[in-house]
Amino acid sequence: MVITSVDVIQSIIDGILYGSIYALIGVGFTLIFGAMQKLNMAYAASSIAGAYCGLGISAVLSLNLLVTFFLGPLVGGLIGILVYLVCFRFIPSREHLGSLMASIGALFLIDEIIVHETDGSPLNFPELGIFSEAYFLVGEFGFRGDLIFVLIVSLLAMTSIILMLYRTKYGLAARAVSQQMNAAILCGINPHKVNASTFFLAGVLGGLAGCLAAAAVGVISPLLILPLTIKGLIATVIGGLGSIKGAIIAGLLLGGFESLFLLVRGVNERDIYVFLLLFLFLVFKPNGMFGSIIDRD
Amino acid sequence: MRNSIISWKYFLAAYLIAVPAMSETTINIAGWGAKSGPLRSFGVNSQAIIDAAITRVNENGGVTLEDGTKAMMAVEYYDSGCNAEQGIAVARKVASETNALIGIGPTCSGVAAASFGVFQKKVDDASDTGLQMALLTDTAVRNGLAKISQWTFRNTPNEPDMYDKLFAWVAENRPEIKTIYGGTETDQGHSAGTYSKVIVQAAVRHGFEWVNGPIEGVNGTIVEGFKNVLSSSSNWLMADTNFSVQARAFKKSGADMFIVSSHPFTTCGFLKELYRQKGMPKMLVGLTSSSSAETMKGCSKQVEGMIIPTSFAPITDAAKEVAALAEANGGAADLHSAAAWENVMIIKQVIESVGITGDPANLQDERRKIRDGLEALETTEGLLGTVSRVQDEGEALKPYVFVQAQSGNWEVIHDPR
Repeated sequence: MVITSVDVIQSIIDGILYGSIYALIGVGFTLIFGAMQKLNMAYAASSIAGAYCGLGISAVLSLNLLVTFFLGPLVGGLIGILVYLVCFRFIPSREHLGSLMASIGALFLIDEIIVHETDGSPLNFPELGIFSEAYFLVGEFGFRGDLIFVLIVSLLAMTSIILMLYRTKYGLAARAVSQQMNAAILCGINPHKVNASTFFLAGVLGGLAGCLAAAAVGVISPLLILPLTIKGLIATVIGGLGSIKGAIIAGLLLGGFESLFLLVRGVNERDIYVFLLLFLFLVFKPNGMFGSIIDRD
Repeated sequence: MRNSIISWKYFLAAYLIAVPAMSETTINIAGWGAKSGPLRSFGVNSQAIIDAAITRVNENGGVTLEDGTKAMMAVEYYDSGCNAEQGIAVARKVASETNALIGIGPTCSGVAAASFGVFQKKVDDASDTGLQMALLTDTAVRNGLAKISQWTFRNTPNEPDMYDKLFAWVAENRPEIKTIYGGTETDQGHSAGTYSKVIVQAAVRHGFEWVNGPIEGVNGTIVEGFKNVLSSSSNWLMADTNFSVQARAFKKSGADMFIVSSHPFTTCGFLKELYRQKGMPKMLVGLTSSSSAETMKGCSKQVEGMIIPTSFAPITDAAKEVAALAEANGGAADLHSAAAWENVMIIKQVIESVGITGDPANLQDERRKIRDGLEALETTEGLLGTVSRVQDEGEALKPYVFVQAQSGNWEVIHDPR
């Protein structure tokens, strides 16, 4: 089939819209990295677990399924605190590898718990009401209503996070702990409380991302965990570790590139090019698009 | 008094002659399939129906052993996932650690292709120490798998025959349908293999044209040009969640008929996107495995009108009964799981025809007898009618019907039996 410029632009539009989910996950990774200079590999798994729990609680209590979209982020936040306590709180801060490995363990543990409880079977997830089948045509280009909704919610959530970080006392404390923990302690800030709050906040964001991703697909499945972990990490690295702005832009661009590679090279080669992109950034621009300077040996 | 005792003796003797003694022996069989992962419903359905079939056999007195006594049947069902290593491990465990006479399974064609390879290729080949226990597959349907080993048999539909007849029927009844386009999930052996080696070739054989001009090497012969079929199509992966690009390619093709060859999870994801983009064609043809309750549960609106050939539909009394029993056991009867019922009945028939003692000391000899008995079968009774056995290949030729998604149900639209 001949690929026209309309196809190329349309696939990029589709990808960017879907990339808003990667951006949300990327922002979560970044928040935690910014706070502790550590990667929480269990982040995407916690996000999907939050969405699962939200769905489960709604079903058990016979609540309106739309309540899932509030319960999911809340439980995601609580799981975030749990991951912090298990994988980060009691591991000495200089032991970066220790907490990294612990969070990888948590990733597999959460994945296994989900698979065990659901037998790995996909579950229907409430769709986004009128947005789920909406499709807007602008000239020759089409826009998925549900993904526009996801993009708007993502942008609102990310704006809220930025405002919290730069306009509230919590944000001031979080930035202080991130920049110089000892000085923050001397100023009376409890770094553990601040870090736990950051994990909760990131977890809420992740739970929301998990719910939105599942709603966009119409089902929730453990199969979502690994791709979201990988794509979220790639968005974080390409955007620059610790940069929220970078994670947002990189997440959207990553979605666009992924979709473009799919169009041009097909599904079997799609991920090769996405990983190549990550490789190129790591080699030629290791600090990402907006990250702080990383010195090379 | 004496007369009374004599009459009791006669009564007892008559009873013992009329009712065969119940043996202490239990005939064990093993089942395995995907009870975890995205294809979990397949394993759940198979197990539900195997359990129902075993219960039915036992309710009717069990299975007759070589000495004329009756024995109960029992089954142990294992989770082999849709994972080749797991499937091989389960096959080895069942063959070496249990006294199961025969196995039923697995679910996935990829698992079957890999695990059939650990069975002895040819019987009596002393140089081959592969597993020597018969396996009668209910679900894994990719074309030609049973001939990997002489110990492996299948009671699965013959897809080349079914799709050949389907496209012949479409060509005759829907002459306005001229062009085709399609896609598959390339990381699933059954979906991709059947699509690229069987379905597209069958369509071309019956005069349908690939929408962008003929695919090089595809002349209607099975397998011919399959790589080009895949590269000419718009495909996805089992774990994919975004189908925008693929759905747009389908829509842009403008073909009269779309072929969607994937399992329910991605069939629904893809069709939802196609529906959203208002790209539905004049006709949709699906993969046999999608004619399930799972698809209806996931996307009944979007799948409306899809036509699929299937070897099971609740259109006979026996099939209706099995569908009801499956539901009562927490499963659903479809072309895969319903075969599990037939398999249990075939196993009972073979046990009774070859003469089995059920003594664990004779396990290996009796596994061999079962294998030989299966190979010797020329026909079996299926839920939709008589099933012919392709004896040298270990395969089956099953009766089938064409079903169409209509208002949330799979309705039979053509019955060529």
